[in-house]
Amino acid sequence: MIAAARPAWGRQLRALLLKDLRLELRTRDTAVAMVLFAVLAMLIFQFAFGNRGDDLTPYAGGILWATLSLTAVLGVGRSWVPEREQGVLDGILSAPVPRLVLMASKTGAIYAYLLAVEIVAVPLVAIFFVRGSVAGDLGLIALTCLLANLGIAILGSLYACLALFARARELLLPVLFLPSLLPVVIAAAGAVNAVAGGTNDLSEYRGYSLFLAVYAVIFGLVAYATYDHVFDD
Amino acid sequence: MRASGLVKRFGDRRAVDGVDVELEAGECLAVLGPNGAGKSTLLRMLATLLRPDAGRLAVCGHALPERAGRARAEIGYLGHDPLVYLDLTARQNLELYADLYGLPDARRRIDDALDRVGLLARSFDLVRTFSRGMAQRLGLARALLHEPRLLLLDEPYAGLDAAGAHLLDAVLADASRDRGVVIVTHEVERGVALAGRLLVLRAGRTVLSEPTGTVDGSAFRARYEELVA
Repeated sequence: MIAAARPAWGRQLRALLLKDLRLELRTRDTAVAMVLFAVLAMLIFQFAFGNRGDDLTPYAGGILWATLSLTAVLGVGRSWVPEREQGVLDGILSAPVPRLVLMASKTGAIYAYLLAVEIVAVPLVAIFFVRGSVAGDLGLIALTCLLANLGIAILGSLYACLALFARARELLLPVLFLPSLLPVVIAAAGAVNAVAGGTNDLSEYRGYSLFLAVYAVIFGLVAYATYDHVFDD
Repeated sequence: MRASGLVKRFGDRRAVDGVDVELEAGECLAVLGPNGAGKSTLLRMLATLLRPDAGRLAVCGHALPERAGRARAEIGYLGHDPLVYLDLTARQNLELYADLYGLPDARRRIDDALDRVGLLARSFDLVRTFSRGMAQRLGLARALLHEPRLLLLDEPYAGLDAAGAHLLDAVLADASRDRGVVIVTHEVERGVALAGRLLVLRAGRTVLSEPTGTVDGSAFRARYEELVA
């Protein structure tokens, strides 16, 4: 028999994350649905607002982050689907994996799905809603995405774990998750608008970015403080 | 493993009501009882998947739930489902669990585990292409991969054909030589044949706890029917 050693967190986290990405590459259940949803939402915004020839550049950030926040609900809602549908949850929970590592692995997976969506959604927003070129601002917009994703993914995985054993989880998740995302949507939209919305106000951009970083840190601490109770039966 | 006065409630109902269990290394315990007797709930508490509402529980010297993380490294659990991902290959599933348990020399262990359950030739196939019995055998390989000191099996024979059941008998006989094994089963004769001790539950309570001794399985069935009636 093997002497029970404490398994390394890094190895566990990498294995769980790799497993999620491998399952996603094989089934294409979540990221593809999220990308499709984001494209359709953009088209709806375009048909709803863009057919009068008005300049929607000041609203581009809002449209982008309203779309991304709704898309995130899809990704978060599906984050434990393989474990639930394939009956693997007991296997993962009975393994000596700290609950924080489980939550962190889902945070990583949600983060990756959001990045995949943004690779498609950001250019679409630029094409549909921004007059002029955003090519010079892409680096700053990408940084906003990286920061905002962190907050969304941490909060999303926390709620996904909380809803894991709930009966009405499909209802519960968006009702809890979306209101909590409002600060991220406001700050991320503000940051994008500050650089791509025609004002090019870098001090405003920095303020919003700082807010996004603080938001991610706060919810990271909340997740750290609560992770052990989240998985209680 | 030591458990005393275990209680688990679901709402007003006591699914497990004051059950005591003791198991030494090298012992095999069969938990019998009708549907709803609390067998699976008891096993899930032993596997650290459910928190007891009352009572004391320690697995391999680790008090639960305080040291559940340590205890989990010593437990191999196979539930109703094989607890493997259908969209990963057999090998990828075992690689995942080898990483979760922090196993050294994982590749050799995985080859050995797959060979032991007769799935080495199918190791690169998706589990989705497996029959129920093959998936169950993979689940057994997963539960044994980290060589646990305590093996917990919930209806392990479900879905196995005769060859699969024979293979499981052999694996269990080998495994129970140096570790504790708890089997929850509806198959009274098989439980008596495999185990050194019996625990019969009815409505969450212990109605029999004794060594099997020289009891014959079919002879015990009549007594069992009376106990759970």
